[in-house]
Amino acid sequence: MKKKYLIAIILCLLVFDNLIAQTKKFTLSGTVTEAASDETLIGVNILIPSLKTGTITNEYGFYSISLEEGTYEFIFSSLGFEEVTKTIDLNQNVRLDIALNETTESLDEVVIKQDVEGLNIRKPQMSVNALSINTIKRMPVVLGETDVIKSMLLLPGVTSAGEGASGFNVRGGGADQNLILLDEATLYNSSHLFGFFSVFNPDAIKDLKLYKGGIPARYGGRISSVLDIYQKDGNRNEYKATGGIGLVASRLLVEGPIVKEKGSFLLGGRSSYAHLFLPLFDNDNIAYFYDLNTKLSYKLNDNNNIYLSGYFGRDVFEISDSFSNTFGNTTLNLRWNHLFSDNLFSNLSAIYSDYYYGLTLSFVGFDFDSGIRNFNLKYDFKHYISDGLQLNYGLNSIYYKFNPGEINPTTETSGINPQKLDDKYAFENAAYLDAEIQITDKIAIQAGLRFSTFNRLGQTGFLEYENDNPILFNENLSIYEKATPLDTLSISRGKTIASFANLEPRFSIAYELNEKSSIKASYNRTSQYIHLISNTTSPTPFDVYAPSGKYIEPQLADQVAAGYFRNFDKYSLEVETFYKEVKNRLDYVDDANLIANNAIEQVLLSGEARAYGLEVLFRKNTGKLQGWIAYTLSKSEQRTPGRTPQEIGINNGDWYNSAWDKTHDISITGSYELNPKWTFGANFIFQTGQPATFPDGQYEYNGIVVPTFEARNSSRLQAFHHLDLSATLTPSKNKNRNWQGEWVFSIYNVYNRMNAASVSFRENTDIGRNEAVKLSIFGIIPAVTYNFKF
Amino acid sequence: MKTLKSILPILAIFLTSCEEVIDLDLNEAPPKLVIEASINTAPADPDSSQAFVRLTTTTPFFNTEIPVVTDAQVTVTHENGTVILFAYSENGYYISDLNPEPNIVYTLEVIYQNEVYTASTRLVSSSPIEFVEQKDDAGFSGEDIELKAFFSDPGGEENYYFFEGISEKGNSYDAISDEFFNGNLIFGYYLVEDIEPGDNVRFNLYGINDQNYNFIFTLLQQGDAPAGPFETQPATVRGNIVNQTNSENFPLGYFRISEVYTFSYTVQ
Repeated sequence: MKKKYLIAIILCLLVFDNLIAQTKKFTLSGTVTEAASDETLIGVNILIPSLKTGTITNEYGFYSISLEEGTYEFIFSSLGFEEVTKTIDLNQNVRLDIALNETTESLDEVVIKQDVEGLNIRKPQMSVNALSINTIKRMPVVLGETDVIKSMLLLPGVTSAGEGASGFNVRGGGADQNLILLDEATLYNSSHLFGFFSVFNPDAIKDLKLYKGGIPARYGGRISSVLDIYQKDGNRNEYKATGGIGLVASRLLVEGPIVKEKGSFLLGGRSSYAHLFLPLFDNDNIAYFYDLNTKLSYKLNDNNNIYLSGYFGRDVFEISDSFSNTFGNTTLNLRWNHLFSDNLFSNLSAIYSDYYYGLTLSFVGFDFDSGIRNFNLKYDFKHYISDGLQLNYGLNSIYYKFNPGEINPTTETSGINPQKLDDKYAFENAAYLDAEIQITDKIAIQAGLRFSTFNRLGQTGFLEYENDNPILFNENLSIYEKATPLDTLSISRGKTIASFANLEPRFSIAYELNEKSSIKASYNRTSQYIHLISNTTSPTPFDVYAPSGKYIEPQLADQVAAGYFRNFDKYSLEVETFYKEVKNRLDYVDDANLIANNAIEQVLLSGEARAYGLEVLFRKNTGKLQGWIAYTLSKSEQRTPGRTPQEIGINNGDWYNSAWDKTHDISITGSYELNPKWTFGANFIFQTGQPATFPDGQYEYNGIVVPTFEARNSSRLQAFHHLDLSATLTPSKNKNRNWQGEWVFSIYNVYNRMNAASVSFRENTDIGRNEAVKLSIFGIIPAVTYNFKF
Repeated sequence: MKTLKSILPILAIFLTSCEEVIDLDLNEAPPKLVIEASINTAPADPDSSQAFVRLTTTTPFFNTEIPVVTDAQVTVTHENGTVILFAYSENGYYISDLNPEPNIVYTLEVIYQNEVYTASTRLVSSSPIEFVEQKDDAGFSGEDIELKAFFSDPGGEENYYFFEGISEKGNSYDAISDEFFNGNLIFGYYLVEDIEPGDNVRFNLYGINDQNYNFIFTLLQQGDAPAGPFETQPATVRGNIVNQTNSENFPLGYFRISEVYTFSYTVQ
C-alpha cells in the first residue's frame, strides 16, 4: 500500500516536471531576514503586482516563485517592517536574499500578522490564526506574565476548562487532541503549575500558528488542532540579551553570533520563585517551575542550514518532607535544511522528545515514575513548481516508548512492593502529499492526502481476554466490571500486536469574490493513535498516554468548515462555521482508577464526540488603536452508548456536554498607543458558565453523607467574565542608548469578579448540614513587570 | 492506589484562593430506597459482632433530616434455606443476632412498598490491627497528629479492606487494596485536624470483596469530592442490591458480610 503511494508521488512529480519544461520559466528564490539580527522571517509576503500573484516565506524564511521569462516588480512586505521593492529581469534563475528593516515605530506598536491580507484572501488555507509574539506581549495577563496559551484563548474557537485548567481546547476538542510543536518537536504538556502558565518562554519564540481546521496534510497524529511554534534562531550579527523581572517569574535570554553571519546561538532561561503559591504555609513547602530554551544555527552555505534546538522544562512541588513531585518535557531536535534546487526546499528533522513524571511520597514510603518518550524522524519537502502550483510532501516515523509507571519503595520499612507496570511500544509512520493549486484566477485549492499507520509492538505482560473483551457488563447490577484475563503473554518487541492504517484526506478551496473578499471551505480527516488516559475535568500531570492497540481503537475526526473573509481598509472580518465528529473517544467507567493501572482497558469504553459552532473575528490591524472582537457560538458534547442494547453505557448512553462546552464566548482585546511613551491594553472576556454535575439528592451510608448525582454535566456554573487592563511605559531616555527598558503595569480582573472555578459540595459537620462551596481562583490581581533588552 | 489519588485534592489546595458558601437551586430526584446491610463478625471480640440493615431513603441535598423506613420486611436467608428475620429496632435499623459462617452464600431480601430488593454475598476475612504509630508533625501545617494503624496482609491472594478511624473529633475512612502491598505490613491512615493527646480513636478493619472495594472507593471519593479542575466526573454509585420488581427503580447501598478487627488507641 505504502509503496504504491510513493510511486504515485514520484509519477506526479515527473508529470509536473514535464509540464514545466514546456514553458520557459525561471525561478526567483531566497531567504528573507530581519536586517538587524539576521533572524529569518516567517510569513513575509512577496507580491508581484503586475500578475496579482505572490508567495510567502516558509517556516525557515525561504521563498521561491517560478514565472515566465520577463521583467517583474517584486514587493517584499511584512507588518512591522519597511517594504522593499525590487525590479528583477527574470531571464535566468535568480537567488535574492532580502533583509527587511523594522519600521521605526514598530517597537511601540502592536503588530498583528494579517491573516487576511490580499494574498491570504486568495489562499485556500482557512481556520488558522497567527499571532506574533509582539501581539502576545501587549496583552494584559494575570500576574503580568506574558503567556502564549492565555493569549490564544482570546481567539474564536479556542477555550479551556476554566481558570487554572491546564491545556486548551480547540473547536470543542480535548486538550490531548492538540498537536503542540516547538521547533517541530512534540510537547506533551503545555502548562506549568497546573495551567497557570504555559511552558513557552515568550522571549524565545519567533512565530506561532494555530490550525483549528483545514489542517494541512503535513501535520498528523492529533485530531483537533495544530499549534506550530518556532523559536528564534539567535542573532547572527551581535550579542543581545532580553529579559524580564516579574512578580512570579523572571527570564533572561542571550543570543549572538558564533561565527559572524554564519552561525548563532540562543540560550534562554526562565524560573518562577519558590513559595509563591504557599503564603499560607510558613514551612518547607515549595512550588516552582523553570525552563530552558537553547538553539544553535549554522549556515553551511546558501543551500544548507543546520539547527540544533532543545527545550527542558520542569515543575517542582514539595510539601513539607512528605511529598515531592517533579514533571516536565524535554526535547532535542537536529534539523538540516537543504535546497535541492532553487525551487525544491527540504527539511530533515531528527527529534527526541519526552515527558517525565516523578513522585515521591515519603509518608507512604515509595516513589513513582512514569512518562512517554519518542524518537521522531521527519523529512519534508516543499516544491515550488510554478506561481500557481506548490507541492508539499514528506515522510514521518515515530517510535514510542510508554512507561505507565514504576513504583519503588524508598525505605526498608515501606510496605510497598516494587512494581513495574509493563512498558508499551509503538511505531507510527506517515507519508503525505499536498498540492496548493491556483486553478483559475478566482479559485485556489489545497488538496492533500496523508497515509498513516500505527503498529503496536510486543511487550511483556500483554493480557488476553475471553472474546477479546476486557470489560464486562453485569446486567443484574447494571455496572461494568473488569474481565479476568485468560492469559498473560510476553511478546517480542519485533512483533506487532495490533496495526492500524488510515487514509486522511485534506481539502480546502477558496473562491475569490473580489479583491477584498473570498469564501472558503475545507474538509479534513485526522487520526490520533495515542490517548491521554484522564477522567478529570482537565488533564493533570499524573495522566499517562496509552497507545492504540488490541483493545483501544485510534481516534478519528472529520471536520468540515466554511467561511467568509473580507478586508476593509483598516479592518478585517472572518466568519467561519464548523462541524466536527470524533470516533473512538475514550470514556471511563464510574469507579475507574486510572493511576498505576496496568490493565487500563478494563475500565474504559469507546464513545463518540461532536462539536459545531460559528466563529466571528473582527480585527483592526493598523493605527494607534488595534485589536479584535471574537465571538464563538458553539456546542461540544460526547456520548458513550452501551455496546449491546442491554448495556447502559456511560451516563446512560446519552449525549453530555464536554467540560469545556461554552455556548457563548466573547473576547475583546485591544491596545492603544497614546504616545511613544505610553501604550495601553485591555481585555474583556465573557463566557457561558462551564458545565458541571450537581447533586440531585443525598443519603447516608455508614455515617457518611453521600450525594446522588444528576446526569453528567447537565448544570452550569455562573457566567464567567472579567476585564483586564495594562499600561506599558517606555521611558523616553531609551532612544539612542543600548539598554532598552519598559515597565508593564497590569491589573487582571479589574472589577474583582469572583468567577467560579468549580462548585463543590460538602457536609459542614459544625452546623450539621450540607453546603455548596464556590471556589474562585483569581480575584483582582495587580502586577508589574520590567522588561529589558541590551 | 487511593493514596496517589488523595494527592489531587491536596494539590487543588494550592490553587485555592477563595472559597465561599453559596446558595444554589438544585434539581431534586424522586426518593430512592437506601439499604445499608452490614453483617460484621469480630473473631477477637465476639460481643462486638453485629448484624444490621438500615433502611432510609434519599432526600434533597440540602435537607437536614434523613428519612428512615420503618415499615419494610427484612430477611437474610442461609444457602440451606434457613430464613433469619431482621426486626425493626429504631432510626431505620433492623437487627438480628445472625453470626455468619464462612463460605456460605447469604441472600438479603427487603420488601418495601410492594417491591422486592435482593442481594447475595458471603463472608470476607480481614486481618488484625497490630499496632499504631503516631507522628506529631504531619499534615500540611506540619503540626497535625497523624496515626497509622498497621496490619499484616496475607500474601498470595488479593485482599481488600474497609478501614475506619472513629473518634469524637472526627472520622477517617479508606478503601484499601493490597495491589501494591501484597503480603506486607499495610497501614490505615488517620488524620483529623483537632485531635489531641488523650483522645481515644477506635480503628475498625473490615474485610470486603473487590466489588465492595470499588463501591466504597467511589463513594468516599464523592462524599468529599475535591474541588477544581482535577475533579473526576461524579455519578451516582451503584451497589450490589437489585430491585427484582422494577429494576429501573434501583436501590442505593450495599450488602456486605465482613470479618472485622478492632483496635483502640489513646493519642499520646
